[in-house]
Amino acid sequence: MTTIAVEALTKRYGTVTAVDDLTFKLAPGRITGFLGPNGAGKSTTMRLLLGLARPTSGRATINGRPYAELRDPLRHVGALLDPNVFHPGRSGRTALRIAARPARIPGQRVEEVLSLTGLASAAHRRAGGYSQGMRQRLALAAALLGDPETLILDEPANGLDPEGVHWLRGLLRRLAAEGRTIFVSSHLLAELAQTVDDVVIINQGRLVAAGPMADLLEGTGACSLEAFFLGATSADARPAHPSPAQARSLS
Amino acid sequence: MRSLVSAELLKLRSTRTAWIPLAAALIIGVIAVIATTATAGQGGNPPLSPAALPDLLRASGGQIVDGAVLLAWIVLSAGEFRHRTSVTTFLGQPRRLRAVSAKLAAAALTGLAVGLLAEALSAATSAAALSAHHVPLAWDQPGALGAVVAVPLLAALFGALGAGLGLLLRNTAAAVGLALMWAFVVEGIVPALIHQPGISRWLPEAAANAVLHGASPAALSAGVALLVLAGYAAVVAGAGAALTARREIATAPG
Repeated sequence: MTTIAVEALTKRYGTVTAVDDLTFKLAPGRITGFLGPNGAGKSTTMRLLLGLARPTSGRATINGRPYAELRDPLRHVGALLDPNVFHPGRSGRTALRIAARPARIPGQRVEEVLSLTGLASAAHRRAGGYSQGMRQRLALAAALLGDPETLILDEPANGLDPEGVHWLRGLLRRLAAEGRTIFVSSHLLAELAQTVDDVVIINQGRLVAAGPMADLLEGTGACSLEAFFLGATSADARPAHPSPAQARSLS
Repeated sequence: MRSLVSAELLKLRSTRTAWIPLAAALIIGVIAVIATTATAGQGGNPPLSPAALPDLLRASGGQIVDGAVLLAWIVLSAGEFRHRTSVTTFLGQPRRLRAVSAKLAAAALTGLAVGLLAEALSAATSAAALSAHHVPLAWDQPGALGAVVAVPLLAALFGALGAGLGLLLRNTAAAVGLALMWAFVVEGIVPALIHQPGISRWLPEAAANAVLHGASPAALSAGVALLVLAGYAAVVAGAGAALTARREIATAPG
């Protein structure tokens, strides 16, 4: 069963094409790394998936529907796009209670995700006083509120200390083992190589590679994900522009 | 919809810059009643009489409560974009018109509740003050019931106006600045600038005064003025809602 499907997705801002005819599919139970240089269109793609931006053309669906058409979306999709989306004057607990209310998620679940993300003892403190790592954990707690089967995470390891990165890796692996779809962008390639099963690489908004990481490395003879990524996105490498039929499905 | 409105009200309760103006307005309202009764009969002020009750009831509400509710909902509404909490809001309810409708409903409910509370406080304070001055309390005074009804209704409309203005401009300082400019400058000079002094009674502040203080030869009738003000609130809230539904929601650049 496909959970995330991006079909010929294009997003233009004036003369700038941020996402260019992008097509890929993800399947449950896998962690997919979403890679690309700065400005490649990763965050824009995620915002299009989550209905925060409108595509110029193409479709981005989750379980066959655009995000905006999902019933109780927080119970299906958890998203971390930006750790700084909490009012600095509200406590971590109140921020989560506000996020939980539209989906009628009980207070007990708020306490569970606070414990899960290691924020229980800081939950009463104002989010404005949190460190970057704590805000990242709070944003992850918000993504997990609805116990969703799909997680979309933009740079979730940013600001985490080594222990936090280790904890995040274990959490993502456990969630994937439960059959969830994890779609995670990151620039920490060495870290990502330890975490992901599949990769989707884009450059200048276009798909340049997609597939199981082991197959891609083996097929090109690259010694690491970093070497493969640099080869695929270097100035000399022409971005592939496969048709939807050619785009490699990860499902 | 109820859970969305409940989330909006929790945002209000957990944002000090929003609820402090409301609490301050209620306190100022009580002080205004006490000051009015304490200075009655002095310095040219009329002595206290049963007929003073409607003015005492208006003293606690009116512009003070309207301004506080307007400010609170500008802060909450525009603050969603300043603090990027709009990302969480629209991930929780991606049907943006539903989310925005809940915000407008919560703003109107806040106005109703604060207006009713202001009237309850002023009624209690007025009763105590009149009793202390041995003035009989007569609730059937003309205008007393009108004040009790008008203050919450006006505050509800100003709440929706504030939420709409915040959504429209998405910038707290700009929205507060515009509201202040409108109240203290624009309404005063626009009729003179366009050589149409008669138009001033159709402007929001004048309409609110007509609702609160009743008809005068220069003002609209209270009913018409209420409709005019509801029209302004509907236009601003509708424009804010429509723009919010169309605009993209920004996150930090990745």
